[in-house]
Amino acid sequence: MQPTDSAGVGARIVRYLGVALIWGYRLTLKPFLGAGSCKYHPSCSEYAIDAYKEFGLFKGTVLAAWRLLRCNPWSRGGVDYAHDQQVFT
Amino acid sequence: MTMLLSLLYLLQPLEHLLRHILNGIHSIGFTWAWSIVALTLLVRMLLVPLTVKQIHSMQNMQAHAPQMKELQRKYKGDRQKLNEELMKFYKENNINPASSCLPLVAQFPIFIGLYYTLRNFAKHPPAGNLSWLHFVPSIAAHVTSHWSGYILLAVYVTSQLASTYFMSGSMQQSQRIIMYVLPFAFIFVIARFPAGLVLYWMTTNLWTVGQGLITRRLIPKVGPPGGGGGGGGPKRSSRTPPKDSPDGGAPAEPPEPKPSGQPRQVRRKKKARR
Repeated sequence: MQPTDSAGVGARIVRYLGVALIWGYRLTLKPFLGAGSCKYHPSCSEYAIDAYKEFGLFKGTVLAAWRLLRCNPWSRGGVDYAHDQQVFT
Repeated sequence: MTMLLSLLYLLQPLEHLLRHILNGIHSIGFTWAWSIVALTLLVRMLLVPLTVKQIHSMQNMQAHAPQMKELQRKYKGDRQKLNEELMKFYKENNINPASSCLPLVAQFPIFIGLYYTLRNFAKHPPAGNLSWLHFVPSIAAHVTSHWSGYILLAVYVTSQLASTYFMSGSMQQSQRIIMYVLPFAFIFVIARFPAGLVLYWMTTNLWTVGQGLITRRLIPKVGPPGGGGGGGGPKRSSRTPPKDSPDGGAPAEPPEPKPSGQPRQVRRKKKARR
């Protein structure tokens, strides 16, 4: 996915910092949390990576956090792409 | 960098909170080690309502297993598409998939807080007994600083494998294998943790196992479990009666053309959704 705005080099680095953080989480912490799968498609970490790539570090973090909060036992789950988000219109 | 530092400042209240909770439990009369066990059990007890929900959704899934099988047969080649279709199916049929990320991630603050608290214990030992069961000299010391740590590690890995066994019902085969291998890879990381943290994970895993055992009792399986892992191959002949298969999210077998007139050959290949 291409960044939506013509971000400068710094902004792009910051954006991929988010992606790198998610990968760090996947490789190190995720195994400790025990097995389980996400009720959404794509999964929360995939969603976070998509969100960081498309919306940058700040908005991406907000979107990922919001998705994580929605991924609770009382929600329905389902198909939910970062691209189709309704938070930032 | 400054962001990472401020992140550490954010963690400080966590440490204080954890320290307060542990202090509270300790003041009741538990040793520090048993306080950690008690804390773990407390956390898991708070999560019990979620478990009940999980049981309901698992029952619901079982009821809809044949249709889901059909979907899996249809989109066998395309994992992405299958996932999407399954999600839509859940939504249409009011199925709430069992697992969700938030409860898992919610364990992080406790874990991190505990880590810092124990590290602090190592620097400034608190009043009271830091040993556990007469064989772990100090829960604040590194796991491998004493032979007892290796026993803790062994129990941790075993309990981790067992809890994966109970929790991985809906996982893909490849993911499941990773989950089974990772505890071994992470032994080296865990070895540098304070023993008390391993105590936490041990306890929480054992709880998961117990919960899994009880859950299995509560959700009656349709027929005995099938052949287990992916060895079966397409030529397996054992078949469930046409009513229901307990199969949940397991990938479907390639549908071999059947001469018999039965519309749906539900195969029992994988273990049921647990």
